[in-house]
Amino acid sequence: MANSAGAGGKSAARVKKLNETKMILRQPILLAAVVLTILLLLLFVIYPLIKILIFSLTDAEGNFSLANLGTILSTSRYLRVFGRTMLLGLVVAVISTFIGYIFAYTITRTNVPGKRFLKTIATLPILSPPFILSLSIIFLFGKQGFITKTLLGITGNNVYGMGSLIVVQVISFFPVAYLTLSGILSSIDASVEDAACNMGASRWHTFWTVTFPLSLPGIISGCLLVFIQSLEDFSNPATIGGEFSTLSIEVYQIITGSYDMQKGSVLALLLLLPAVAAYLFNKYWVGKKSFVTVTGKPTQARKLIDEPHIKWPLFAVCLAVAAVIILLYGSVIYGSFIRTWGYDYTLTLDQYKKALAYGWDSLKNSMVLGLISALVGGLFGMVIAYITAKRSYYGKRFIEISSVLMFAVPGTVLGISYVLAFNTKPLVLTGTAVILVIVFTFRNMPVAIESGTTTLLQIDNSIEEASTILGADTGYSFRRITLPMLRNAFFSGIVYSFTKAITAVSAVIFLVSARWNLVTSKIYSLFDQAKYSQAAAFVTMMVVILLVFIGIFNGVINLLLAPRSRVPQAKSEKTEGTK
Amino acid sequence: MKKSTKRVLAMVLAAVMLLALAACGGGGGDTAQQPPADSGGGSNAAEPAAPSGSKELTVYTAFPEAEVVYYFNEFEKETGIKVNYIRLSAGEMLTRVEAEKENPQATLMFGGSTDNYIAAVEKGLLEPYQSSELGNTPASYIDPTGTWNPIYVGCIAFACNKEWFADKGMSYPSSWADLLDPAYKGEIIMAHPATSGTAYTVLATLVQLKGDDGVWEYLGQLNNNMSQYTKSGAAAPNAVAMGEAAIALTFSHDGLQPTAEGYPIELSFPSDGTGYEVGATALIKGGKAEEQENAKLFIDWMCSEKGQGLYAENNSFRVPTNTKAAVADGLVTLDQVEVIDYDAVWAAGAKSDYCNQFEEKIASAPKE
Repeated sequence: MANSAGAGGKSAARVKKLNETKMILRQPILLAAVVLTILLLLLFVIYPLIKILIFSLTDAEGNFSLANLGTILSTSRYLRVFGRTMLLGLVVAVISTFIGYIFAYTITRTNVPGKRFLKTIATLPILSPPFILSLSIIFLFGKQGFITKTLLGITGNNVYGMGSLIVVQVISFFPVAYLTLSGILSSIDASVEDAACNMGASRWHTFWTVTFPLSLPGIISGCLLVFIQSLEDFSNPATIGGEFSTLSIEVYQIITGSYDMQKGSVLALLLLLPAVAAYLFNKYWVGKKSFVTVTGKPTQARKLIDEPHIKWPLFAVCLAVAAVIILLYGSVIYGSFIRTWGYDYTLTLDQYKKALAYGWDSLKNSMVLGLISALVGGLFGMVIAYITAKRSYYGKRFIEISSVLMFAVPGTVLGISYVLAFNTKPLVLTGTAVILVIVFTFRNMPVAIESGTTTLLQIDNSIEEASTILGADTGYSFRRITLPMLRNAFFSGIVYSFTKAITAVSAVIFLVSARWNLVTSKIYSLFDQAKYSQAAAFVTMMVVILLVFIGIFNGVINLLLAPRSRVPQAKSEKTEGTK
Repeated sequence: MKKSTKRVLAMVLAAVMLLALAACGGGGGDTAQQPPADSGGGSNAAEPAAPSGSKELTVYTAFPEAEVVYYFNEFEKETGIKVNYIRLSAGEMLTRVEAEKENPQATLMFGGSTDNYIAAVEKGLLEPYQSSELGNTPASYIDPTGTWNPIYVGCIAFACNKEWFADKGMSYPSSWADLLDPAYKGEIIMAHPATSGTAYTVLATLVQLKGDDGVWEYLGQLNNNMSQYTKSGAAAPNAVAMGEAAIALTFSHDGLQPTAEGYPIELSFPSDGTGYEVGATALIKGGKAEEQENAKLFIDWMCSEKGQGLYAENNSFRVPTNTKAAVADGLVTLDQVEVIDYDAVWAAGAKSDYCNQFEEKIASAPKE
């Protein structure tokens, strides 16, 4: 009985899929978007990965060989490291998402003061190369640490290890969870929660039965994005992990220390398995439920929570996290104005002069390429979210899975796979700026896709259907209806792509060229030379420039994509659109 | 009025996106679309040059950036050849050359220890070239396969944090046995031999000093005093600079690098013998045809008395391999230190075996 029902459900799904596929074939713009997306993903995701897969399974004589895979699977050390990496990823994902949720909830639901400040704090950590935070921790809590030794008189404090690594990763990655969650929390229709409240439910009850379940897609997406980033992270474990090793570190060690690119690539590709598994779990589990709250019926502005016993504890937690972030970044800023970080505290502006003379060109390169890839990636991410979130057709699963792969590959191997794929004919891209833009676009897009998808899952299909029935084509509905609703997601995607492009380290080591050198490789090299204060000056300038850019993005997106409510204006816009 | 501003903005944004999308979606054929994004920059390496008479040279280098720029500028002053470079760690440099071997993007590998060059020869990535300027270089540094050219030497030293020792009223360790003093518990730092050529030279030196069995016993004891095995070679002296450890086992020139920033580091050398690294440079096989002559010129220049005299001018603490070249004041040269007869070729061949043993017997072992 249950069996036959299951089979019936399956065949119904298949019929639906077939019908939708046919429907798409009749809509030229949508069809073009789907086909183009698939082609681009094949070329810039699947092709390099296949290249490196073939490469990693080839022995020195050029024959197919599984020997490396065998060695890795039979070495107990790799399995142990694999287990630890997974554990680290899970712990960091859960803590980061929890903190991200508190920030997102406090900002979108309560009327606490200083929201602009909290927003800035919650996005600040994605604005800098991650190893700078590790360095701050060493200078504050290390053996000669300002807090441990100077203030508390503790000597011989060992900061290296899993504990510090968790702290640094949580601070570096919780902004991603926050961005995803604030998008979804602010787009849940206010009337749903208000209805629960009006019917007498307590705030707590409303939260557990309405808000929390509706934000589940965001929670899971947030966890997933943080989990994958933690697995893939290289610079933090390398700086502050101490004896604690992760798979990304092992990959790097094998490739650059033992000069064995094949074996390193095999290990790196194994790292994709848990990431893809987590992703599929997310899709199947979340995809089966309905999260629709935005239906197109009139709604009112949200009433913000004013009860002191709710808002002040939340505010306190946010402030505590903010204090840690300010402490870490404050020491970076302070470190940029002194002669020798951690040793000679004479105040000076020299570091800025040196940093500008040393790396202004590469800073400019990073900004230009980051900007292009952020706009392309943000828009492309919205398109992918749009064509995958609500539809079901042949090829959709491919788009979903392949678009997230680049995010999960350890940077070192991603760089190598691009060199293998695009250094020989037919398509030679190495040495150009294009290859950097492409890598950034495809690597950082998943955040845009995830926040776009989670937002779209809340929007009732009938809104767009109404627009279609009234005669608008897909492109017009997308531009006028969907895109404005996606503006938070679009903003998150752009900000994330932009900052990640500018702060990426390991992926670009093999792709930068003498003409197109980037700021992070310059900073990386400053770290090697113990020029910490100069690196701090660089990072401070980057953060300021990025904040200005984010302010501009925010303004432009709000201006362009704000929903138009007044009828006459909508009319005149429409006539222009049809012209 | 406000609406028209919006419209203009919308159009601008749309235009930017379209342009960017076109540049990106078009892929390789559209490289020509990219340059508008760059502002200035002058002549660049991608420009196709005449087969000969090119005035450029593309280099991957493992030298620290601040140092290498000095050499390149001097070279350009003398020859008019502009060097375009990318700085990488030695291991990354080799990896990049290997990944690009079907269509090499650079002509010369410059710097990094012979360890990397020996591996590169084995993988068939280098083009043999011996400079005519190697006449004043001791035979023990010369590549037996005639592929790479030795350009500097540096020996393993103990890089000590001056303030830590002043604080404790102790004198610097002067032998490998001294390092086992319990007073150094948690204060000694070196990189992991599997990731750092420096650390592997330490390991190979100790194998040659103590023998295959003695070395693991010694390292086992030393392990109790270790702070950690860092992942990059530079991290060890940098940790001493910050006071995170008191002694780093590293090359003399790397150990003194942080002093340029003002950090308090001084060197001492083991009197019971120490190993050394030879730094090298070589042509990459299949490198840009139009740059071959320039690359050879650069190798010759770097092997010459004049080129190697720059180490002293630039305070790099490297010891020239050319015995005629000027040596910096106060620089400890190899004849002043008890160096062992370090066998680089043997060491390179035995690397993965010893690194695995190190991981099993030492790095994964619990500390007392």
